[in-house]
Amino acid sequence: MSNLYDKPLSRRDLVRYGAAGAAVVTLGSLPGVSRAAARRPLDALAGTPKHGGTLKFGRSVAPTQLDPANSIIAGDVYTLDKIFEPLYITSPAGKLTPWLATGYDVSKDRKTFTFHLRPGVKFSDGTPLTAADVVFSIDRARKNSKGPLSFLDGAITSLEAKGTSDVIAHLSAPWAPFLSDISVFANGILPANFGGKTEAEFFANPIGTGPFTVSGFKSDATSLTLKRNPNYWQAGKPYLDAVEFDFVDNDNQRVLQLRGGQVHISDSIPPAQVASLKAASNLTVGLYPAWEVDLLVFNEQDAKYADRHVRRAITYAIDRNALVHAASFGTAKPGGSFFPPSLQYYAKGTSILGPSLAKAKAELAKSSFATGFKTSLLIDGGVQKWRTFAQVIQQQLKPLGIDVTIRALDHAAFEAAFQKYDYELFIDYAINDISDPDEMASFEVDVKNGGSKSYWSNYDNPKAIALVRKAQAEFDPGKRAKLYAQIQELVAQDAPFVPLDYPPYIYGVSKQVNGFAVNPGGAYRLEDVWLA
Amino acid sequence: MKAYAARRLASAALVAVGVTVGTFLLLHVEPGDPARLVLGEHASPSEVAALRHQWGLDRSLPHQFVRFLGDLAHGNLGTSYVDKVPAATLIEQRAGLTLALVVTATLFSVLITVPLAAAAAARRDRPVDHAVRGLSVFGLGLPAFWFGIVLIELLAVRSHVFPVGGWGSSVQDHLRGLVLPGLTAAFGIVPILVRSLRVGMIEVLDADFVATVRAKGIGERRVLFAHVARNALVPTLTLLGINVAFLVGSTVVVEQVFALNGLGSLLLRSITDRDFPVVQSVTLVMAAAVVVVNLLTDLVAARLDPRIRLG
Repeated sequence: MSNLYDKPLSRRDLVRYGAAGAAVVTLGSLPGVSRAAARRPLDALAGTPKHGGTLKFGRSVAPTQLDPANSIIAGDVYTLDKIFEPLYITSPAGKLTPWLATGYDVSKDRKTFTFHLRPGVKFSDGTPLTAADVVFSIDRARKNSKGPLSFLDGAITSLEAKGTSDVIAHLSAPWAPFLSDISVFANGILPANFGGKTEAEFFANPIGTGPFTVSGFKSDATSLTLKRNPNYWQAGKPYLDAVEFDFVDNDNQRVLQLRGGQVHISDSIPPAQVASLKAASNLTVGLYPAWEVDLLVFNEQDAKYADRHVRRAITYAIDRNALVHAASFGTAKPGGSFFPPSLQYYAKGTSILGPSLAKAKAELAKSSFATGFKTSLLIDGGVQKWRTFAQVIQQQLKPLGIDVTIRALDHAAFEAAFQKYDYELFIDYAINDISDPDEMASFEVDVKNGGSKSYWSNYDNPKAIALVRKAQAEFDPGKRAKLYAQIQELVAQDAPFVPLDYPPYIYGVSKQVNGFAVNPGGAYRLEDVWLA
Repeated sequence: MKAYAARRLASAALVAVGVTVGTFLLLHVEPGDPARLVLGEHASPSEVAALRHQWGLDRSLPHQFVRFLGDLAHGNLGTSYVDKVPAATLIEQRAGLTLALVVTATLFSVLITVPLAAAAAARRDRPVDHAVRGLSVFGLGLPAFWFGIVLIELLAVRSHVFPVGGWGSSVQDHLRGLVLPGLTAAFGIVPILVRSLRVGMIEVLDADFVATVRAKGIGERRVLFAHVARNALVPTLTLLGINVAFLVGSTVVVEQVFALNGLGSLLLRSITDRDFPVVQSVTLVMAAAVVVVNLLTDLVAARLDPRIRLG
């Protein structure tokens, strides 16, 4: 994640996936006009794109492999998505955009989708894209038992090629998130049967339809150069001759390389450094809204937190504006709904409990723990932001008689602990990989089917779960919006977790760079980028 | 001499074994599941269990250790959980850089230490001496990563004399890229070496045999370098040998600060990722290197000073 200032040095579990998703309604519209400007700081620079040059991009995580069906870490995903493309992608505004497909037809019962492939698309070796390639790639992804995101293809029962330019997908039931699922990077298209090579041979020199190619991939490299694909289906693009990714996991060093001109772009700028980078005359800072929320989670297996009044009391007591001010240096927005504002079907009118100490005390008085109690707060000790959050929350809960001990563990130990429910309170972030909100809704509310027992909280509200499942099959945008608004309100009132803030993706970009933008899933396309 | 060498070799081997066992135990005792980390949050318990089984993590600790030793005996350092390539490959790719860094740092530390210590010893209790001693105390408390960042800020970001980080691709780039990291690492040990060498030289300067040499009319310069230095050298050489261990350890921090892809940053990354085979292998390689260096310095010291090998 972009805001991992001081994350455990080196490889972090950046569970980031660039994704594409459906966006029938432009819920990319975020509160405040300034958002739109921040989203694309460099498009304002008018001018004709110049061809040529090598973009140098400092990245915090290096790729270990380039197989879309097996990828989950940011290093892999944001490299292979320059090589392999899916049928639809998500634009920087959060909208589903036809990509290798130009459109689709859907049957009346919503269980059969027919995708029409874009004519004239070739792989980088010149062979034309056909329906057989699409069927091979998506079947491979969904049937991969070790695939971290194969669950997103769970609704598909079978795929078939109709001729060379149509692909039919049969679903087990009407599934509204389907188009969104299809656009996840894991469903990127490769040549059928790896073009005759073995799998290992293929991924060492991968062939895709994307704007750039890689030759001789080695894991654990300090840098990786991607060359322009001359057969790319968008005429005239990419503008760049090459992209050089330099992998620098130390935040300070990466920012210094940006300031020293060694790279044009750096990802994951620590919030504390934003002000000084903005002041530099040759740089700009891009703050891109993300489908990401930092959460304070309650363990409902613990008697204290099974009590709804206790959870609500704590929610009332937490001043999210103070948190954001203390920890994000003005870059993040204070939390409210458990959906981030950039996510489709975010309901602006969702109630926010607090901040109000009086209401917090009143709520606590209704609980079985009215006199307060001792508790522990588990955090990933390597993330500076969460240390700050924990300290602020500790202070904010004191007046309630709640005595918080901060329990900071290193990243791997932290993951092991909360996944075993060895915690009372913990802080972590939740993301959506695709533009459809079902992923976040299920993961955090559907205690049985969501895959994480409601984000490891054990939150079980049958009414909310029923709404989540209903929304999965609802295709009317208006009705769907209403369902998600109800879900967000229920969650706000039950407070199984407290959404603390919405952190943006923070990138430092040289003023030489034009056309760079990041979508809310954290992915950036580079065929539109040119160097002045 | 032979008996001494044999004794030292035996204890060196024991140290290597001790480090290996200690690392193994520490790794397996701390919480954190590498399989979970690799598969991500959405993985089901059965998927995680399958991967753990594949890696042999579901067997008992003694069994795993014996298996590790067996592999080691065949020259197999294991396969990285994260990169899925042999640990030996990763180490090979990175060892050259760390070796170059440690050699550079050692060179710098010698080049800085000897003149400073000689100047301080020769002009004892005069301003030069006080300045050197003061600087050395200051240096003892200096955090390496802070010093490195300051060097980067002054000599790389502002003046482009050296690269901000990384070590480039050509030999020339390599040399340029090692200057700042080498200096940073060297400054970690220079204060102690300066103090030691200074004290050693003072002791020798006060010795009777030096008075004799001076009485014979030999010039001060020759006194210092031909007679004093050699005698003062032995304890400092031993200290340098010990400090190479510190230098190797400091590569973990220095490589992070300067974005160098060496063994230090590999070790750090692997610990965070719980990449057991890589942590084991890198620790073993580093320990072996340190042990060899110490062995060599002990042997050289014994050669220079007969009292060591006979005592």
